[in-house]
Amino acid sequence: MSEAVAHPAAEAPSGATYLPRDATYGSITRDIAAPVFAPAGWRWWTAFLVTLALTLVMIFAILWLFIEGVGIWGVNADVVWGFAITNYVWWIGIGNAGTLISSMLLLTRQRWRASINRFAEAMTLFAAAIAGLFPILHLGRPYLFYWLVPYPNVMTLWPQWRSPLVWDLFAIASYIIFSLLFWYTGLIPDLASLRDRARTRFGQLVFGAFALGWRGSARQWRRFDAFYWAMAAMAVPLVISLHSVVGLDFAAGLMPGWQETIFPPYFVVGAMFSGFAMVVTLAVPIRWGLRLETFITPAHFDAMAKILLMGSIIMGASYATEWFLAWYAGNVAERLVTQFELSGSYAPLYWLMLLFNVALPQLFWWRRTRRSLSAIFAIAILINVGMWLERLLIILNTLSHAYLPARWSDYAPTVWDWALLLGTLGFFTFLFVCFVRLVPAVSMHEVRQLAHAQAELEDDDAVLA
Amino acid sequence: MSRGDGGLRDTWWRRTGHSDRTAERSAHEQPAVDRRHALKLMAGIAAMQTTACSAPPEEIVPYVRMPERLVIGNPLRFATSLALNGYARPVIVESHEGRPTKVEGNPDHPASRGATDAFAQAAILSLYDPGRSRVVLQDRQISNWDALLKAVTDVAPTWRSDGSRLRILSGVVTSPTLASQIATVLDAYPGARWHRWQPVNADEVRRGAELAFGRRLEPRYRLDQARTVLSLDADLLGNGPEQVRHAHDFSGNRRARRGTSDLASLHVAEPTLTLTGAQADRRLPLARSAVLGVARALAARWGAPLQQETLPAATLAFVEAVRNELLSRGSDALVAVGEGQPAEVHALGHWLNERIGALGHGVEMIAPVEAEPVDHVGSIKELVADINAGGVDTLILFGGNPAFDAPADLGFGDALKAVRLTIRHGLHDDETSELCHWHVPALHELESWGDLAAPDGAIGIVQPLITPLYDGRSPHELLAALVGRLTASTYEIVRHTWRARANASDFESWWRSVLRDGFIPGTRHAAVAVGPAQLPRLQADIGALASGGFEIVFSPDPAAWDGSFAENAWLQELSRPFTKLTWGNAAHLAPKDAQALGVSDGDRVLLSAGRSQIEIPAAVMPGQVSGTIALTLGCGRRTGAIARDIGTDLYPLRTTASLWNRLGVVLSRGSGHVVFPTTQGERMEGRDLVRSLTSAEFASGPPYEEALPVSLYTAAPRRTHDPYAWAMVIDQSVCIGCNACIAACQAENNTPVVGPDEIRNHRDMHWLRVDVYFRGLPEAPAVAFQPVPCMHCEKAPCEPVCPVEASVHDSEGLNVQVYNRCIGTRFCQANCPYKVRRFNFYGYADGQEYSNLGDPLLEAVHNPDVSVRARGVMEKCTYCVQRISRARRSAEKEDRIIADGEVVTACQQACPVDALVFGNLNDPSSRVSRLRHEPHHYALLGELGTRPRTTYLAQVRQAFPDRSAPPWADR
Repeated sequence: MSEAVAHPAAEAPSGATYLPRDATYGSITRDIAAPVFAPAGWRWWTAFLVTLALTLVMIFAILWLFIEGVGIWGVNADVVWGFAITNYVWWIGIGNAGTLISSMLLLTRQRWRASINRFAEAMTLFAAAIAGLFPILHLGRPYLFYWLVPYPNVMTLWPQWRSPLVWDLFAIASYIIFSLLFWYTGLIPDLASLRDRARTRFGQLVFGAFALGWRGSARQWRRFDAFYWAMAAMAVPLVISLHSVVGLDFAAGLMPGWQETIFPPYFVVGAMFSGFAMVVTLAVPIRWGLRLETFITPAHFDAMAKILLMGSIIMGASYATEWFLAWYAGNVAERLVTQFELSGSYAPLYWLMLLFNVALPQLFWWRRTRRSLSAIFAIAILINVGMWLERLLIILNTLSHAYLPARWSDYAPTVWDWALLLGTLGFFTFLFVCFVRLVPAVSMHEVRQLAHAQAELEDDDAVLA
Repeated sequence: MSRGDGGLRDTWWRRTGHSDRTAERSAHEQPAVDRRHALKLMAGIAAMQTTACSAPPEEIVPYVRMPERLVIGNPLRFATSLALNGYARPVIVESHEGRPTKVEGNPDHPASRGATDAFAQAAILSLYDPGRSRVVLQDRQISNWDALLKAVTDVAPTWRSDGSRLRILSGVVTSPTLASQIATVLDAYPGARWHRWQPVNADEVRRGAELAFGRRLEPRYRLDQARTVLSLDADLLGNGPEQVRHAHDFSGNRRARRGTSDLASLHVAEPTLTLTGAQADRRLPLARSAVLGVARALAARWGAPLQQETLPAATLAFVEAVRNELLSRGSDALVAVGEGQPAEVHALGHWLNERIGALGHGVEMIAPVEAEPVDHVGSIKELVADINAGGVDTLILFGGNPAFDAPADLGFGDALKAVRLTIRHGLHDDETSELCHWHVPALHELESWGDLAAPDGAIGIVQPLITPLYDGRSPHELLAALVGRLTASTYEIVRHTWRARANASDFESWWRSVLRDGFIPGTRHAAVAVGPAQLPRLQADIGALASGGFEIVFSPDPAAWDGSFAENAWLQELSRPFTKLTWGNAAHLAPKDAQALGVSDGDRVLLSAGRSQIEIPAAVMPGQVSGTIALTLGCGRRTGAIARDIGTDLYPLRTTASLWNRLGVVLSRGSGHVVFPTTQGERMEGRDLVRSLTSAEFASGPPYEEALPVSLYTAAPRRTHDPYAWAMVIDQSVCIGCNACIAACQAENNTPVVGPDEIRNHRDMHWLRVDVYFRGLPEAPAVAFQPVPCMHCEKAPCEPVCPVEASVHDSEGLNVQVYNRCIGTRFCQANCPYKVRRFNFYGYADGQEYSNLGDPLLEAVHNPDVSVRARGVMEKCTYCVQRISRARRSAEKEDRIIADGEVVTACQQACPVDALVFGNLNDPSSRVSRLRHEPHHYALLGELGTRPRTTYLAQVRQAFPDRSAPPWADR
């Protein structure tokens, strides 16, 4: 797992191609902080209004859900889970990558991460928050979701500790808290920069309050580094455990197609894979919208494409393992589900999923694809779709084709399923649109460190020359 | 969502309240009441009256005078009778504080033995049906009983001199009281006539007896006496007044137990798969019109001097095999002929029965139980002819729904409109009432006194369990009014009949004992001694299929019957046994025909016969003979909140000449496709989920090893500190798939109805389902029914996944669901291998009910011992934990443990074949413990290690010498 991420990135010489040679501390700070202080342009306003409209769609879909009940969705008595759980697993997967990128690349000293880790972490935060909504929304009685929390109560009842859903609650909650802290910690030096650059009293006060009195002293930097690195070291096992638990939601069951030991690692890799795809999907418009071409370079995309390629290979291997074990284990129900996967009612979706997740990313073997922004953007979006389909099909194939043929039935989503999916996509983007206007989308202090490292490298070269 | 009706209902109630308030305010503020306000007031008062008689009173007050024997919280049970097709089914009705909630069979009566059919279970819902008519209507306007009495007394004198212009039309009448009252009317008005029309009638049966014995008689089949039964298109085990008795008697000889070597065998020749055909050991798919050929060929083998026709090889083989089988059994065999067969086949059947010695043994001939038996087709034909000739001024219709179900060629509806005065007495304001001048709301059987005869002639007393909910009248009151007795009470009328007939010194104690037992002893019809059966004269080639075209075969619907149960949502939602279709009917096509036409389930087809044409969705029916289309009656009603536009009306194709089958029908593709509301997806499978054995295999030793997976753990020791370990064993050999258990479960456990749209969304709520599996060729499949309630697994997969411990195990081995604790994650159902849990996606019983089922009145149908579940909650079979609880209470009072057989689950109680056995595994002598040691005992998906408490006995079918393997072996 860790090799998977570290390996392609390790090839890149530290920082050399990730910044323009003439970047100075001053220009870095100016360019990155500009979107926060400059008046919003048409690009931002368009994005804001479109995503706001979609956010309203989400709110309406949720309100209607609360009024009418989960019956408005396409779920049925056999396929009791549908889009909601799919969306949950998908969003939490996306929520995985920010922290993973940030911490793992930090720990493996991949300094190029400086350009992408801030918004990747924001992505994590937003995605995890949205993911956290779905397990509640999908409940028959959502107003009682807090019964999963162990708190002293007059019923003298605790949650059922054997249920993966309880593990899930703890996993999501701790992950959201952790992601918020990790993101905020990395933001502190930049908030101080913003405080110093703010022209208005209000800006100075707000940024100042959030900067927690950061002065940039050597002592503060030492503490900061120690804390930040320690958090990064904690993040990796947390991310892995979180997604393992999500995998256990299914693997702890008894159903054919779910009860597989491969699920926890398979879910972790899947999460990393879809998360990186989402980072790419976001990096392209952010780079364009905020004019950050200087800081997010084709070299970044090249590195991320390599990680996606690695992810797709592991995913392919996981699918193949599933097929092999379904055959090798000799369990009839398991074989029937696999057969159904490949040729049943949802087979077109399954083949599409294989195309998007396994076949298409193979184009990244070619440097030209990795360097082509439009190609990598398109493939990243398709990987996102493919990963969403994967999560959907894990649920549908098993529940539609379980042990008793008498209870085989197909699932069809309703308009409300789609509305909620689209709405949350819109809400996610909405949060992002707000985020880029409120705090620097790229970590200024880390890019400055990158520039420093690059300058040192050049100095060394000069000395050698 | 077609829950729009529910919305309409809400609107209506709100508006009522609104107009009430308006009326109140205007009365206070404006002393002068103008026309507008007067109208509002009137509307308000009218609405208040309707609310007053429907909504249960909200105050809780103690009884001023405590009813006899009533202990609050303990139900009382009363014996009464419910009618099906005019005949009584003896039942015991449970009543909670004056509110009937559950129907059970009358264990003392041979026609029930404690079991019921699905219709009887659903009768409770019909009682509280908010769609029942509530007021007397005159020319579609609200009127009252007094106005009707006036109208009748005005015209009555004109009948006195010449009554021939007065006619009465009813269905089958078996009630002695009703019959004698009608006789009184006919006496009082000389010339008046009584016509009869029942869509499912025994005309041909009686004519067949006449051909054979010269008398109109009816055969009664005693399947318990027969080791071999040949059914010629007779759906002995299918729905009908005799279903429960037939099923019970038949199952007695079909129960495979350790050491059983000889099972009764069943041979069936029939056009489409029926419940009887599904039980057959040898089944010949045969067109209804071709059955005569088989009967003739069989008779010829017993030496009848009949001209033989050339039969197809398969038919010939069937005839030979059946002949040998019948011969080998001697008199322990019988031949049964279906009501849809022409009289000649019935006569041949009688002749055959006499030859094999079944007459008087397995088959008894009795005088018709119907009062003043007539030929129904002839009777209604005559009525319409008289109307058209202008000879009828007054027509009084009791029950039925002839405007909907009379033979299409008669044009009954138009004829009805031509009569000067028509008075309709019926439970619903239906198609017929719409065409009549007067409509009188009838009383439900549970609201009224009366009497009815069972198919064996035994008279049952109908006693009311509740004060009439609406302003209804019994037919007795209306008939009494016709002869001028305007204030007669039904109770006195019925007692009057029996006071004269009881022949008891102390009538009151006789009457009380009759009410307690539910039926009158000594009223069974004795078997009639009949002379030698005559062979019917047969036309040369009557049995051949008319050249060209398809043959339609009609049969009553398993849910709507002839249309009279179409308003019952419980029945509408019961899935048809083979297609698992709910809410509506379909044209059943043979697999080959469907393939040739290129249609699959749900594609619309056009049926054209003569000038009538009908478009109806098709359903492929395994085991149906090619060249036939099987249709069930009673769907496609044009009135009724529940029944309207559900399914397709097929009566337009049914004429006097083609009551049971219609030849020369053109079948073509229609346009469009409908998605069927079905409760079972796939109908074919290839695994051993349902196990079956031939009787030879069964006899040759224990077939099943306990197939538990290898485990590091020892088998979990059974809890010993608790005296009870509840379990159920389901015997698949005898299950006939009649759905009575599902209906009983629905009534007992307050299971909501979800409606056709939700069924289409696969959101059925039945706690118990009957899965059907087919094996072998689609043309001649073997069928197995598998009732699937909750398995109550000892290692239940649903329990560890529930995050809030709503799904937990109790000390007696029940897997219980705590509704209050459930938050609706649905993980339990996702992880249930048997998929027996049901989720309230909407508030099906809690504000989002289908159609008019949210009416406040329907809260009265609920069993007070079972909670009604809210939206967002998972529910499932509890093994009727409330019944266990009740038994435990009485056992603890007596300081003993619950005895075997003391707890009877609702499904078990209703089951006519005793296929479900419930009991305590910790008692080694209990029935369920013993059944668990039967050699053919197995657990469904036992290899998963869930250790289910509900287990099965494999289906055992007779193996025949000429066929070493049962039919399903030839894959």
